[in-house]
Amino acid sequence: MSTPLLDIKDYSLDIGTFDGPVHVLKGINLTVNRGDTLGIVGESGSGKTVLVRSVMGIGPKGSEVTQGQITFDGQDITRLTEKAWGNIRGIRISMIFQDPMTYLNPLFTIGQQISDVIAAHQRASGEGVASKSARRARTVELLDQVGMRDPDQLFDQYPHQLSGGMRQRVLIAMALAGKPELLIADEPTTALDVTVQAQVLDLIKSLVEKLNLTVVMISHDIGAIATIATRCAVMYKGEIVEQGATADILGNPQHAYTKQLLAAVPDIEAEPKRVAAAAAEPKTEKPVKLLEAHDLTKIYKSQSGEPFTAVDKVNLSVAKGEIFGVVGESGSGKSTLARMLLRLIEPTSGDIIFDGQNISGLNGEPLRQMRRHMQFVFQNPHSALNGRHTIGDAIGEPLRIQTNMSKRDIEARVEALLDIVQLPRMFKYRYPHELSGGQKQRVCIARAIALNPRLLILDEPTSALDISVQAQVLEFLQQVRAELDLTYVFISHDLAVIRQICDQTIVMKRGQIVEQGDTEKIFLSPAEDYTRALIESGRKTSRAANIGATG
Amino acid sequence: MLTFTLRKLLTVAGTMLGIAVLTFVITNIAPGDPARLVAGPNATEDMVATIRTEYGLDRPMIEQFAIYMKDLVTGDFGTSIVSTRPVLDELLRYAPATIELVLVAMLLGIFVGVPLGMLSAVYKDGPIDHFTRILSISGVAIPAFWFGILMQLYFSVDLGWLPVSGRLPLVTRPPEFITGSLLIDSLLAGNFKTFNTALSYIILPAIVLSFPCLASILRVNRAEMIEVLQSDYIVAARAHGISSRRIVICYALKNALLPTLAMIGLRFGWMLGSTVLVETVFDWPGIGLYAVSSALASDFKPVIGVTLLIGFLFIITNTLVDLAYAWIDPRLRRA
Repeated sequence: MSTPLLDIKDYSLDIGTFDGPVHVLKGINLTVNRGDTLGIVGESGSGKTVLVRSVMGIGPKGSEVTQGQITFDGQDITRLTEKAWGNIRGIRISMIFQDPMTYLNPLFTIGQQISDVIAAHQRASGEGVASKSARRARTVELLDQVGMRDPDQLFDQYPHQLSGGMRQRVLIAMALAGKPELLIADEPTTALDVTVQAQVLDLIKSLVEKLNLTVVMISHDIGAIATIATRCAVMYKGEIVEQGATADILGNPQHAYTKQLLAAVPDIEAEPKRVAAAAAEPKTEKPVKLLEAHDLTKIYKSQSGEPFTAVDKVNLSVAKGEIFGVVGESGSGKSTLARMLLRLIEPTSGDIIFDGQNISGLNGEPLRQMRRHMQFVFQNPHSALNGRHTIGDAIGEPLRIQTNMSKRDIEARVEALLDIVQLPRMFKYRYPHELSGGQKQRVCIARAIALNPRLLILDEPTSALDISVQAQVLEFLQQVRAELDLTYVFISHDLAVIRQICDQTIVMKRGQIVEQGDTEKIFLSPAEDYTRALIESGRKTSRAANIGATG
Repeated sequence: MLTFTLRKLLTVAGTMLGIAVLTFVITNIAPGDPARLVAGPNATEDMVATIRTEYGLDRPMIEQFAIYMKDLVTGDFGTSIVSTRPVLDELLRYAPATIELVLVAMLLGIFVGVPLGMLSAVYKDGPIDHFTRILSISGVAIPAFWFGILMQLYFSVDLGWLPVSGRLPLVTRPPEFITGSLLIDSLLAGNFKTFNTALSYIILPAIVLSFPCLASILRVNRAEMIEVLQSDYIVAARAHGISSRRIVICYALKNALLPTLAMIGLRFGWMLGSTVLVETVFDWPGIGLYAVSSALASDFKPVIGVTLLIGFLFIITNTLVDLAYAWIDPRLRRA
């Protein structure tokens, strides 16, 4: 057999910190042959990004290779000089990134950025830089290759004028500029909408076949890995715990961590597990309505003066005790709707009825009083907590603002709340940066339920979390609801999650509700094309479907 | 971009009107009777009354304001009591010296501050970074008049390299007035000897005036560069094989320049104000010195004139900064 394209042998890497070196990668062994498609699965902090960046020679600052080596096409690239990298980086090995917005320079046009890459490659290979028009032609050709409509016009546009999916295509075009032998994809679909995810994966897949690319793709999304990769490695705490054919690993995981990871993936095909719980509590004859919205509308005025309707005449009714799902892609208006329901954003028109009272006209003190009954949990727990306040301060804050409780009572309540969210009481002295993402989200939930609200609005509460943590938080949310008699409005773009926990669901598109009703009914027999398309895209990236396809 | 520019110019007009109104109100609130001031200490009541009528000070406030505004629009800034010459003439005579000094100081601040900031960001915690840290802290901490005197003592008195004060020696004939800037005018006239002399006179005051400005530009640019260099698109540019030099100079600097530009605009206004000190120390015949001597002589029309002029220059610079912002950042152009 010929030499493998990429060969990582017993590779270990430390990163120096104030508390001494952290072993980020431990004895990694990986081999990628030409034409291979390898997926690396792992959660945040598993070291997968550090690993692939080391392959590109752009590893983190202050890192040190303690043992092993990386060989690319027979050449040891472990400790190459910057100059030697010039002929490899971006040319023979190139990379596509996670968040297409932040990985494009906002001040340069798409065309400038791509032709710059082309020029850099020509300079590095000693060909001499081609003329501006020749580079433009090549750029347009690349943009066309990644399926962009109207690439000529796109050349002069800036990143902020493009949608997320388009930006990712631009980044892919940049990565292909040097006709790379090895393409590294770092979570290429994570920051995209479900339908766009499916399109981008299709694109990568077709490019792999057309251009005969060798691909290493890392993702925490097992569905995405299964779509692209024939071989797969599972990373956990800096080690590769399992590798082999994707179908084998997904179908028959050996390592305990892989099993746990796979079990945590919400499956869009799975029947919800709530049946038993629902049967246990006898249903009341007539559900009591807790929250209603009538013709709720929000119109923003753009700076050029054009009105933009974010939420268009939405009517909904949430019964007491249920989990009410709101699903839709980014830009569908679901977050605006959620914030309006709490009057965090003023509706342009329409009514919000909470527990029989119209709160759309409330102001001042009555509105403030009303707020204690309805609370909000944000998407990103990392930014929802003030880094300079202890966890105890954060959870106690609503109590200090809304009640006259004494300091000691507040202290006791904070401890009780920590018990409820299953965190150690001592956590009240800690600061947010000392907690993991899942722990922080629990703190946010504790803060939201501090005042015994009746309604919680959860805006993508698990989207910023790892899959296994997501599974825990979802389960925990269901427990808390039962214990505290809560009602949830649950916003998500993840259909599998919605199916798992929501009773009723509305599907939103461009500010309007396109379909609503019983969650199971929507999933089993969607009435609208849009819903069907959404579920179809969700299925494409779903684990079960892909195991079937690859196996 | 065109509508953006037009809209900005409208704002300039509005702000200028605001400054004019404010100056009028302040002069009318300020204690003292202008008519009596003009008439001098030995004047009789009759003389004061005549002057009051002559200057229109006995008319209703609103009418006075209308006259004041009409005068301003037609470029009439009143007459200086001390020199009995129109204030506008004097401003036009003194302003070029100040503008020349401020511009040279600004250029120093930008062309030393921005590259130093960039270098200390790229070589963070290295020797350059430590050196610039000392430089920027002293720049902000040392008072201009003291620093000015130190520089005079060392470079002019001890070493004798540069003249102590003034703008040109009395024996040198200034070049023909074209722009009012001695440096530019002497170059235009092809007179390099005068250019060199003028340059030797402007170096010290320009350094003293630019030092705090240089320090803050350096700090802001360093901090911004450090942040930008860690951003995702820089990682992506490296991964795409773009050379480090191009990444720093082109990709990162353009992004880091935006906040630096804002600082430059603010510092420009600050420098116009500081010229009062620096011009006094270096005996620089600009509007700062003119304002100080007029204020000491209770000659208020020149003070108002200088206030309006500095306000005008400040607004113009900041409008230019805004336009530069939009020119650099495409996301701002729609606003």
